[in-house]
Amino acid sequence: MKQKLLIVDDSSVIRNHISRLMIDPRLSNLTIVGVASDGEKALVAAKAFRPDVITMDLTMPNMDGEACIEQISQFLPDARILVISALSDKATAIRALTKGAHGFLQKPFSDESLVESLVEILS
Amino acid sequence: MNFRPLTNEDIEVFSETISTFFKLMTRRPAEVRTAYVLDGPVPIIWNDFNGIIDASSGFRGTISFSAPRGLLIEVLRAMGESQHSTENFLDVVGEIANQMSGRARKHFGESLDIAPPRAFERTNLPLQASATGPAYAIPLTWGMFEANLVVHLDVLARP
Repeated sequence: MKQKLLIVDDSSVIRNHISRLMIDPRLSNLTIVGVASDGEKALVAAKAFRPDVITMDLTMPNMDGEACIEQISQFLPDARILVISALSDKATAIRALTKGAHGFLQKPFSDESLVESLVEILS
Repeated sequence: MNFRPLTNEDIEVFSETISTFFKLMTRRPAEVRTAYVLDGPVPIIWNDFNGIIDASSGFRGTISFSAPRGLLIEVLRAMGESQHSTENFLDVVGEIANQMSGRARKHFGESLDIAPPRAFERTNLPLQASATGPAYAIPLTWGMFEANLVVHLDVLARP
């Protein structure tokens, strides 16, 4: 059975860019079930679709990624969360991982690094 | 509170970061040139589309990315985006400014508190500058287009 992916980012250009990379054969086991442009919408989508994998931006309006990760981890403890953020300081990365994220990819990213990060988080 | 202007080392961080953006996200490197101080009471270089990040906490000011429509069409194309709409131009300039600011936290630390991006067309720009120190333009050429990263930040001086 395919694993369900939720893409969370306030930039539609980045959401679409991530979506397009799903054609990589190494990610053939993933299917996109939803996208969200902020943390509040991501919570609603996560409750509705119960994704197995989530890509999560951090700097977003309404509810930021850290708060969102914390809440999603409570009702979807098995979801694998890959943070994709420009916030590249060590303290932010550690805090996101402590709150329930499983991986951290810095923006800007190459297509290859995103695919590799998702493959890693799925394994 | 005492704020200090940016140093050469601070500026270099932004030059490297904008270079990394073009290299990784479009697979076509940009020629990033030497930064220079902008003159004038509203020291921002306006272009067709402008993404602005407001910094706070231990900082005061903005980080902006200004680019012409043609450059943004090519950036969107390089990222596989076929919708070349005003909405996407505003989205991508905001996202570039966001990525420049976020990466700068590796240098400045998490005391560089940044807000989600604001994006404007040339005709709707905010005109107030909150930093009092000099603003730096980091010009770049990408393909046949020119764009600017403008860093206008005061940094809280540590005792």
